[in-house]
Amino acid sequence: MGERWANWLITGAAVAVGSLALADPPAPAAALAADSHRVAADPPSDLAVTVYRNPNRQPRSLDSDDEPEPLDLDNLQGFALIRETRLIHIPAGESTVRFEGVAEGIEPASALIDGLPEGLIEKNRDARLLSPGSLMEATVGKDVMLWRSDPKSGHTEHLRGRILSDTDGVVFQSEAGIEALRCSSLSETFTFNSRAGLSATPTLSILIRTRQPLTKVVTLSYLARGFDWTATYTATLSADATKMDLGAWVTLANSNGTGFPAAHTQVVAGRLNRANGEIEPIDLGAPIVAKCWPEGNTSSPPELLTLGGVHPLGFEPSVYERSTLSSPMAAMALQEVVTTGRRVIQEQLGDLKLYRVPERTTVASRQSKQVRMLDRKSIPVQRIYVAWLNSNDDTELDETASVLLRTENKTGNNLGLPLPSGTVAVFATRSGDPLLLNESPMNDLAVGEDVEISAGRSADVTVSSEIEDVNLDPSSVKEMPLVPGIHLRQATFDDARRVVISNAHDSAIRFELRLQLDDYSRLVRADHPVAKRYGRPVFRLTIPAHAEATVRYQTARFDLQAVPVLE
Amino acid sequence: MRARTWMRVLAFLIGAPLSAQGADRSLSVTIYANDLALIQDTRDIQVPSGRQRIEFQDVSAKIRPETVSLTCSDIAIVEQNFDFDLLTPGKLMEKAVGREVTLVRVNPSNGAETREQAQVLATNSGVVLKIGDRIEVLRDDGLPVRVIFDKVPENLRARPTLSVTVSSQRAGTRPATLSYLTPGLGWRADYVALFDEKESKIDVQGWVTLTNSSGTSYENSQTLLVAGAPNTVDSNDGRDYNWRVRQERSNLQRAGTESGSRERLGDYYLYPLAERTTIANMQTKQVSFLDVHRVPAQHGYEFRNNWLATQDKPQSAQTVYSFSTSAHAGLGDQLPAGVLRFYIRDRRGDPQFIGESRIDHTPMGSTLSLATGDAFDVKVQSIVEKRTRIGTFDWQSDMKYELTNASPKPVTVNVLQLGLYGDSRITAESMKSSRRNAETAEWAVPVPANGKATLTATFETRF
Repeated sequence: MGERWANWLITGAAVAVGSLALADPPAPAAALAADSHRVAADPPSDLAVTVYRNPNRQPRSLDSDDEPEPLDLDNLQGFALIRETRLIHIPAGESTVRFEGVAEGIEPASALIDGLPEGLIEKNRDARLLSPGSLMEATVGKDVMLWRSDPKSGHTEHLRGRILSDTDGVVFQSEAGIEALRCSSLSETFTFNSRAGLSATPTLSILIRTRQPLTKVVTLSYLARGFDWTATYTATLSADATKMDLGAWVTLANSNGTGFPAAHTQVVAGRLNRANGEIEPIDLGAPIVAKCWPEGNTSSPPELLTLGGVHPLGFEPSVYERSTLSSPMAAMALQEVVTTGRRVIQEQLGDLKLYRVPERTTVASRQSKQVRMLDRKSIPVQRIYVAWLNSNDDTELDETASVLLRTENKTGNNLGLPLPSGTVAVFATRSGDPLLLNESPMNDLAVGEDVEISAGRSADVTVSSEIEDVNLDPSSVKEMPLVPGIHLRQATFDDARRVVISNAHDSAIRFELRLQLDDYSRLVRADHPVAKRYGRPVFRLTIPAHAEATVRYQTARFDLQAVPVLE
Repeated sequence: MRARTWMRVLAFLIGAPLSAQGADRSLSVTIYANDLALIQDTRDIQVPSGRQRIEFQDVSAKIRPETVSLTCSDIAIVEQNFDFDLLTPGKLMEKAVGREVTLVRVNPSNGAETREQAQVLATNSGVVLKIGDRIEVLRDDGLPVRVIFDKVPENLRARPTLSVTVSSQRAGTRPATLSYLTPGLGWRADYVALFDEKESKIDVQGWVTLTNSSGTSYENSQTLLVAGAPNTVDSNDGRDYNWRVRQERSNLQRAGTESGSRERLGDYYLYPLAERTTIANMQTKQVSFLDVHRVPAQHGYEFRNNWLATQDKPQSAQTVYSFSTSAHAGLGDQLPAGVLRFYIRDRRGDPQFIGESRIDHTPMGSTLSLATGDAFDVKVQSIVEKRTRIGTFDWQSDMKYELTNASPKPVTVNVLQLGLYGDSRITAESMKSSRRNAETAEWAVPVPANGKATLTATFETRF
């Protein structure tokens, strides 16, 4: 055991001879085999996958025009809890039990194995996977067979040799002497005696000691990156725009190269804390590059200070990033979207919401899948037109109003269920056919909260805001009344503003002007009654058909700079 | 048969080095919490007398050579080198300048080989050779030519290698210990807590997680984990390691004053692994160190509001679990820093993940309060209602906090108003607050099931 480490070589006398570490070290795996068994657990007999959303996805506000972000299979920031039920057969004594084929996004520190008998010594995850580069790296200093074939005759020579180095080119030694791989233009390659203990698929292993041979069913659970889910709502407006039908899909996606066939599948809504982003990534090894000595010749232009060309060794010199998610095989697979005909069932999970797919379903590799979440009919909605103003802006504003569909999340409105965040697409019906009006993000909404769904902008309702220049002719400007509760003490007044809303519709509209003031600013004067919405001032108006309305208001700042400092 | 010939050839090639593989070899690895490990390798070595070089292969590729020490009786160290000169085809040719190499030309039409001795003259952007009296450029004609070197030059290695030149006063076998510091080995703790909602109890498992990215495997080593981060001069300021980005909320509610039975070294706790283990390169290894069941734990809600924060819409309160690490009604252990993952059983009885939280080194007897995530149904909206200047340096801020609970259970939300520095005062409030510290006022606000609650407070501050 440990001979690989034991290459302490003493080269005699003061004149050091060029020494090579060629004491024949047996592979560590072989050394282990003497007193330890290596067994593989059976493939999973049962699987469960719980998908969690990207915890860093920011809640969106309605006044931003941000496009909702679709799930990108190449960059899924959520994660999943995978539970695999496996049968293991443990011989008596010390054994290494290998759980092969776990998701490559596994967070090894989160792995748990339930149902093990006493005697677990440790659990391990080797990040190194079998690849040409890692195989070469693991074989440095060990015996390989060199195959050299004559391109003309097809005759292949087999030579026993040893890899001396794989850094920036491969140096090997055989009976003939020391040579560099593929520098002669002959076709050369190695065959290896063993896979050097490298796993083909991501593998977790445990070291366990038992007195008797055992056959047990154990549950392996772990968190894995490269999953995400979102809720995708469709709101279809009735012809008179007073009711809407709301339907939703759970869209869940797996970017791992590992699939989970016939799995119990759940998704969890709500934001979870994640402690940090670091995990120990899968190591696919560096690509093998056969680099040689300088190869300039008399007919090539002089290349000053460049050392040698780079020859890919028999395959494209693809560089695999040390990424947990982009397994080369997965990258080649087609993205697939699957829609199932079942509906998820919601249950409470602590302070989160869990949605369970009622039947087993397959969460395949590189797949996004949709399961129906809800279908609610005839939800009464109010159609309101909204403009948001930062009152302290001295800019003039001229824009179209946003259209919001507003309702309350309660049973009386045919709702009254938690609405997890996602995107919502609004459709109008035009002679029986749906017509997309808008698509926007939606935040987590609990029962009882206000639901506001953006239905785009209306070209017919325009809002223009401008500073009312009081210097022009003070007598022409009507003094506005003070807002109740405001005392004009030590405040600096901003310029008065005038907001004109014009309605080109042939019906009256409800309009809300929502002010977004900073904490130091308050509304001091206004010519319309002021309401509060979530603590912010809002003017609510009804504007008749083909009419204009004008709102005038004035804000003041109550901050430090506004006040002359007393001596 | 063939293998035996092969070994003879090898022995000839390398000048038969004396390999000293002691039977009593012991490797011990001490891993600190700040990406630092002390490696000690002891074994019997057979040393002839006189000056000689001892090579240590497969020491950590990230070894800090200046920390190496070799202790062995009757041996004086002359010098030690850590050679980074790696063996590559280019280097091999470069070091062969002025030396003889063997060329094997292969006839492309019939595969016949012709051998020639050549002297390497130069390797500047192309290899120039002298063969007999003529000078030629290697593979100028593009035909296959193998170049065979008879030996690997000194100092060229497949991996960085430590070599120590020693002067031995006597020949003989004796134990030697090589010790050095290396980054690339680290450990932390990982905890799994399963919360039982009905009983308000948690089961906690603790695992130490070792990671090795030092480029080397440590086989069959005795492993000791130190819950502490020694200052190192190498890091420009060792304290940086300890100073994590200041968290928004401190998990530690009350620091403990109990001491357990764990081994200590100075002020560091030690976690020796029970058995020798092999820490392979690029491996993540976990060993259990804590398994306690049915510890009382409280589930609560917390909302932390920064000074003068108004939200556009209600924000979820944080779900908080708190428990003690005391020997009495607690985990009964000090906890090394790491990540605690919470699980809760779903309706089918399967544990589901509900969030995680980082903890620092926590003494025994502490009270921890860990936030796991947002509560879907419990939301708070804070509003700055009014902010008025009432004196030259005095401000009055009226705050309103609206709490909603969409769950069918009444809840109590701890509302924390942060940022009350200096002589800030609360002049009016709708319910009694407690000052957790000068900076923070706290209210425990009950919210009925499927209901609402409102909290108001007026602050007088100097800002």
